[in-house]
Amino acid sequence: MIWLWGAILFWLAAWALNARLAAGPAARHPAVRLAIPALFGVTLLVLWEGIVRGLQVSPVILPAPTEIGATIAASLPILWGDFVQTIVKGALSGYVIGCSAAVATAIAIDRSPFLQRGLLPVGNFIAALPIVGTAPILVMWFGFDWQSKAAVVVVMVFFPVLVNTVAGLAASERMQRDLMATWSASYWQTLWKLRLPAAMPFIFNGLKIATTLALIGAIVAEFFGSPTRGMGFRISTAVGQLALPLVWAEIAVAALAGSAFYGLVAAIERGMTFWHPSQRGRP
Amino acid sequence: MKRLLASVGALALTAGGALAADDVTLQLKWVTQAQFAGYYVALEEGFYEEEDLNVTIKPGGPDIAPTQVIAGGGADVTVEWMPAALAAREKGLPLVNIAQPFKSSGMMLTCLKETGITSPEDFKGRTLGVWFFGNEFPFLSWMSTLGIPTEGGDDGVEVLKQGFNVDPLLQKQADCISTMTYNEYWQVIDAGISADDLVTFKYEDQGVATLEDGLYVLEERLADPEFEDKMVRFVRASMKGWKWAEENPEEAAMIVLDYDETGAQTETHQKRMMGEIAKLTAGSNGTLDPADYERTVATLLAGGSDPVISAAPEGAWTHQITDKALN
Repeated sequence: MIWLWGAILFWLAAWALNARLAAGPAARHPAVRLAIPALFGVTLLVLWEGIVRGLQVSPVILPAPTEIGATIAASLPILWGDFVQTIVKGALSGYVIGCSAAVATAIAIDRSPFLQRGLLPVGNFIAALPIVGTAPILVMWFGFDWQSKAAVVVVMVFFPVLVNTVAGLAASERMQRDLMATWSASYWQTLWKLRLPAAMPFIFNGLKIATTLALIGAIVAEFFGSPTRGMGFRISTAVGQLALPLVWAEIAVAALAGSAFYGLVAAIERGMTFWHPSQRGRP
Repeated sequence: MKRLLASVGALALTAGGALAADDVTLQLKWVTQAQFAGYYVALEEGFYEEEDLNVTIKPGGPDIAPTQVIAGGGADVTVEWMPAALAAREKGLPLVNIAQPFKSSGMMLTCLKETGITSPEDFKGRTLGVWFFGNEFPFLSWMSTLGIPTEGGDDGVEVLKQGFNVDPLLQKQADCISTMTYNEYWQVIDAGISADDLVTFKYEDQGVATLEDGLYVLEERLADPEFEDKMVRFVRASMKGWKWAEENPEEAAMIVLDYDETGAQTETHQKRMMGEIAKLTAGSNGTLDPADYERTVATLLAGGSDPVISAAPEGAWTHQITDKALN
């Protein structure tokens, strides 16, 4: 019980400290702005540890953060191998293929109203298919290895990026397009120099959504058939073996990878769409 | 008047409490099928009722690990295979075997004859389908005993996480797949492949068989005399159900079909399964044979560099229930 009370005490103290920091004169200082969420995160971990140890929760139900940390330290080669198999080979390749296909399809739709009427409803339908239904079928078509996981990711990211790109291509203003016409610009010149750059905020919106979907798709697809590596495989088999610390270690890696991926795309967005109002006013 | 009514009401409630049967929740290892016929027979034929038990049978399925269910308090007793139960015991979940209805193992590795595999030595460099979720331990032990690494490469085997179907063999994605004598093997036959086109390795014949369906409970609950008495009655009624099922396989299969809520099971498949299951339960009256237990532990410990369990378990089984139930 001393663990539980110690954790609660720590929580109250950290809360008070955070409140004082956030309201104080140094609130805008970059070090303080980093310290506040960091302190919050540490408090959550301490509370978790205190509750698990204080209430004697079985490690089979919920392991303590220290045990998870020890497992991470001891299983780095396994975690790295799974990361490469799922994120690099499965999610990333699917993401690249899916997003390029979606952008290309959006341009095709833009060129041809016939395709617009036909392809958007089909894309809508494909996006609505539940992944737990499509994943086993794609595993059967593409085999057990990373190719089927990439296929699942393509199916998942295609429609959001398509819809966003189509919206983005319509975003350039009438006046801007007329100006290009007065300079006798061809369709492709207008597309490349005006409409695609104007569509960038929309496209990046879709790309950011797609990063999350790609990760989900790659991990869940592995539940339905995989070689003996990969994050989805490791999570499902470790649950079966009751090795819960390893499950949490994989979850931590997935969270880090997902945040890093999203942050990378957001950083690229900031570079490419610096002119857009949503990117201004950032310190 | 009010006081009279209130006390009559209270008395009525207590009387009801004294007559109610004891509740027992059983977690099965897989979906409702003839593999668990004994328990469904005991439910249907009233054997549990005779012992004053109100039994709820929870079917399992893909992604349901019985050990997790019992750890979370979702069941009083679970059907599990011994390797998974011993591994769980080592991980900190103190499961104890209280009965062993299945004497022999039905696990096999089935290969297509056209792959050219004729003996276990030919496994090197091949792709083998293996179930996980607690069912991988017999396979891992066998590979360790043979000295074949499971990471792939020319000298090892590439392991495929097999779903609970036989598609990897039919789609030629794996050279061999894991099958049970009573289930997946017949699914392959039903899919159109004749028995002549298959090469089968039985774990019993290879000397690496481990004990399968047994009844497991959490150790600390056995110390409670009320729980122990419930389990004694439960095991007695369940074994009566098993022996009835062995003698009346066709009727047992029909009882299982009645209880199948998914509607996915067919009469032919269940009757065939019951016939095969009867071969596995024959020879056991429910008491765990310590020699079988030792053999299973030895197989699991012979894992070499990657044993399923690292030390011989202590107190992983008990005769305290079967002694009282069956004697």
